[in-house]
Amino acid sequence: MNLGISATEFVSQAKAGTISVEEFVAKTLDRIKLVEDKIHAFITVDYQNALAKAKEIDKKIKSKDKVGTCFGMPISIKDNICTAGIKTTCASKMLENFVAPYDATVVSRLKSEDAIIVGKVNLDEFAMGSTTEFSYFGPSRNPWNVDYVPGGSSGGSGVSVSAQECLASLGSDTGGSVRSPASFCSVVGLKPTYGLVSRYGLVSYANSIEQVGPMARTVEDVAFLLNIISGYDSHDDTTVKNEHVDYTKDITLGISGKKIGIITQMIGEGIDKEVASATNRAISKLQDLGAECVPISLDAVEHSVAAYYTIASAEASSNLSRYDNLRYGFDFGTEGYEFKAFILKARSNFGPEVVRRMLLGAYVLSAGYYGKYYLKAQKVRAMIKAQLDEAFKKVDFLVSPTMPILPYKVGEKIDDPLKMYLTDINTITANLSGIPAISVPFEISSSGLPIGVQLFANSFEEKKLLQAAYALQETTNLPEVPL
Amino acid sequence: MVDRKEIEHLGDLVKVDLREPEKYIKQVEQIIKYFDRLDAVEFNSDATLRNEVDAENLRDDKHEPCTISLIDHLKKDQNNFIRAPKMV
Amino acid sequence: MTRIGLEIHCQLTKLESKLFCSCKAEYRNLASNSNICPVCAGLPGSLPMLNKKAVEKAAMISLALGCAIPEKIGFFRKNYFYPDLPKNFQITQYNAYGPTSIGSDGKITIEGKEIRIRRIQLEEDPGRLVYEGKSMLTLVDYNRAGTPLVEIVTEPDFETPKQVRIFLNVLADLVENVGISDPYLEGAMRVDGNISEGDGNRVEIKNVGSFRDIEKALHFEITRQQSLLERGIPVVAETRHWDDARRITVSSRSKEEEQDYRYLPEADIPIVLIRNESIENIKKQMPESIVAKRERYIKKYGIPAQVADVLSSDRFYSDLFEKSYNEKNAKEVANIITTDLLSYADTREKKLELKITAQHISDLADSIMNDTLTRNSGKQALQEMVKTGKSLSDVICSLDLGHVSDAGSIEKIIDEVFQEEEKAVAEARQNPDTINYLVGKVMRKTKGKADPTTTLDILRKKLSS
Repeated sequence: MNLGISATEFVSQAKAGTISVEEFVAKTLDRIKLVEDKIHAFITVDYQNALAKAKEIDKKIKSKDKVGTCFGMPISIKDNICTAGIKTTCASKMLENFVAPYDATVVSRLKSEDAIIVGKVNLDEFAMGSTTEFSYFGPSRNPWNVDYVPGGSSGGSGVSVSAQECLASLGSDTGGSVRSPASFCSVVGLKPTYGLVSRYGLVSYANSIEQVGPMARTVEDVAFLLNIISGYDSHDDTTVKNEHVDYTKDITLGISGKKIGIITQMIGEGIDKEVASATNRAISKLQDLGAECVPISLDAVEHSVAAYYTIASAEASSNLSRYDNLRYGFDFGTEGYEFKAFILKARSNFGPEVVRRMLLGAYVLSAGYYGKYYLKAQKVRAMIKAQLDEAFKKVDFLVSPTMPILPYKVGEKIDDPLKMYLTDINTITANLSGIPAISVPFEISSSGLPIGVQLFANSFEEKKLLQAAYALQETTNLPEVPL
Repeated sequence: MVDRKEIEHLGDLVKVDLREPEKYIKQVEQIIKYFDRLDAVEFNSDATLRNEVDAENLRDDKHEPCTISLIDHLKKDQNNFIRAPKMV
Repeated sequence: MTRIGLEIHCQLTKLESKLFCSCKAEYRNLASNSNICPVCAGLPGSLPMLNKKAVEKAAMISLALGCAIPEKIGFFRKNYFYPDLPKNFQITQYNAYGPTSIGSDGKITIEGKEIRIRRIQLEEDPGRLVYEGKSMLTLVDYNRAGTPLVEIVTEPDFETPKQVRIFLNVLADLVENVGISDPYLEGAMRVDGNISEGDGNRVEIKNVGSFRDIEKALHFEITRQQSLLERGIPVVAETRHWDDARRITVSSRSKEEEQDYRYLPEADIPIVLIRNESIENIKKQMPESIVAKRERYIKKYGIPAQVADVLSSDRFYSDLFEKSYNEKNAKEVANIITTDLLSYADTREKKLELKITAQHISDLADSIMNDTLTRNSGKQALQEMVKTGKSLSDVICSLDLGHVSDAGSIEKIIDEVFQEEEKAVAEARQNPDTINYLVGKVMRKTKGKADPTTTLDILRKKLSS
């Protein structure tokens, strides 16, 4: 049985009865047991429920009962997305044993379509990081070379899909957290338009810019998942009431006659040579398919890292205030403590990167500094969006390398936060402006490490974007993961 | 610019006991300096980017009891109170 | 000169659900932590869902206080750590970066004095702390957390505590009349004050339990500040708490470590657009203002100004009036409510216990106007109806209150009185001013049912014959 098939292929085989869901899920769980030691994608694996649920779905298929569109597809969920009854740790000691009493909207939508949650996957603590090294439970490792980082913060999602421990995963993308591991692990990852997918049940890090995003082996799989998780949610005031779109329909339409802008700020200076040449090859392929590619300059991108980390740390410092160990958290009682001593003790269990960002956030929001930092960062957002709107008058899509560099070794940048922040330069534009962006696996470098290409479209143009991503995907021929 | 006193003040604002404040001073200062680049940005608009919703589309005022007894999932005493430390 | 400003927290008690979730807005008398959900308990991943009606109600009170409502309102997070705040920030509104609170720059004139309203902001109430035993262990109940309230901030336009009291009474009537709050519910209206003498520093007064106490606290604070200034000691800018037991203000022990709330826009709630049509709709839903109501009572029904004052300013009385009156008996209905009923309904508890309905009042007014009941009997009937809720005709029957106005019956009774009261009759013949004594005797015999005019006529005739 091939665990490396696409989610779409799995659905058609399960529907046709040529695959037993129970067998597929059991094999998947075996695979997890086999490879986890090397790659550490999962924080929690739900062996028992996953199998029981698979049996249930097989029964429904056999008796021709109504079955949800996922047909028992094994899926992993980033561990900052709430799942009723399964721990949601955010890879933090603060929530080491926290079990949410409710499902995130994206999770309940997947469950109601008969997806099987096989487990919760690793991340940088509270999604703050670009490598998954800042997990309280230890780093995940890149299945293409376990000495290298898998990207982050949704590293566990990227690793679990890439290493065939599940067919698809949900990550969250605040500044590239879905696309970075997608690129580093050679899977597809989408950051949807802000407001397209519900954030209810996603533990907030920087709530004005983040979205839950699907990750899978193919563009069709990502479109399939987006069909399920997108749309207005009565539990999230920031979701938009748009008409429902079928993202899988016409996905093969092609990009002939479309115009694509190459973001000059994202492919010039500071970009790894091999990444740059792979991106140029991708651009030629797109041209071969009939698209016209032109350079586009977005000079506001130069301010994006400063703006992004100002906003993200400001919001993080507020969002993480609630973890005070009073209502939930790890178990030490309040007896004998004075309030401040208690709270200081409880909150010193955050990891160093989280503390760093909270300190930065407190700094930029301090009395008198709002105008100097936060407000300016907000204005940079508007400036970027205005430049994008201008660009999208001329082109249908924008293209760039997803990551400016190849995956690097575990531990290489962990002591230099600013250096690590700067690697987000190509992904954060989509978060600051709210537009959708997708990373498509394109090549494997000479050193055997994946390179992804990023495509952007204007807000709520995911359908078009997925068509372009599909076209690009069809030009590639990638090897199996060597794990 | 960012000294020990400042770092400790920030730690106090976010209620984190910085056992090794020195560790953070240099990094925070370096990153704040990087943020200071925002001073050099020339804006031709004061616009910011925010989602908007029409007041008419907000949630209707309807009471719906929570589907679970939430307190049973929280840290509580036998009288269903949350126990807080001593407030001086 | 004394300058006093107020911050009034007024819960929107007329709402069904909380400000950001579907839990009950009414949190009183519930088992601890039984009215909570992931949103108001601040669980990870939960998001606020703004209550449409809360925005409307906040807009109503803003309009009633003459405030401007901006096209776009926004919410901010006020960050500080306290166990009654489940998220360790409060979602509120903030105008430092532009007017985005529901109301700003209003004014209201009270007894000729203009009080400017700086702003009105919509925000969530925190949970409730309960202190346990001598150890002062803190217990938290989040049933109240997320209850919608408006904070009304005035400019420092008051000069005396008395002006403050009058303003607060008018404001209480107003919020009740507009239908946003029941100001008499415990904790529904809470007041903080700030006060400065001359060029002295501003002192905030917090923890005041009731409207009556704010007046006392302000008096105390004026005396304290004046005596400091007389001795040449500067007033310290600080927050002082009202100590209810000792009836004094006490400096807050927390050395006023400068609070830095690190305000930040609440991105989970989009900017809310309030279109002109929405404001027009809200205006339509607003009940007639107290001033307009008073004018109508005076002009349309000829109700005396003092009666109209009482009637219009109290929502309970005016509602009862509106349901009871018809074109003919309006004045009598107003009279009954503001003179006779008042003593049975001068507190909230009494109002709630009243068994009387509009029908009772209307019938009573009609009966008095067509002479079936004397005003005296009417008072008795009212008392009985208030207690029992029986219909007017039942009450008249059971108390034997029928009006006696036929001359024959009254004459018979007067004859009886003349036999029993020879001395008084003789005196009355000498001095007609003492006739009232005899009238009283007739009334007692008829239990007040005899028509006073007829009685007097017959008495006079008999005495002079």
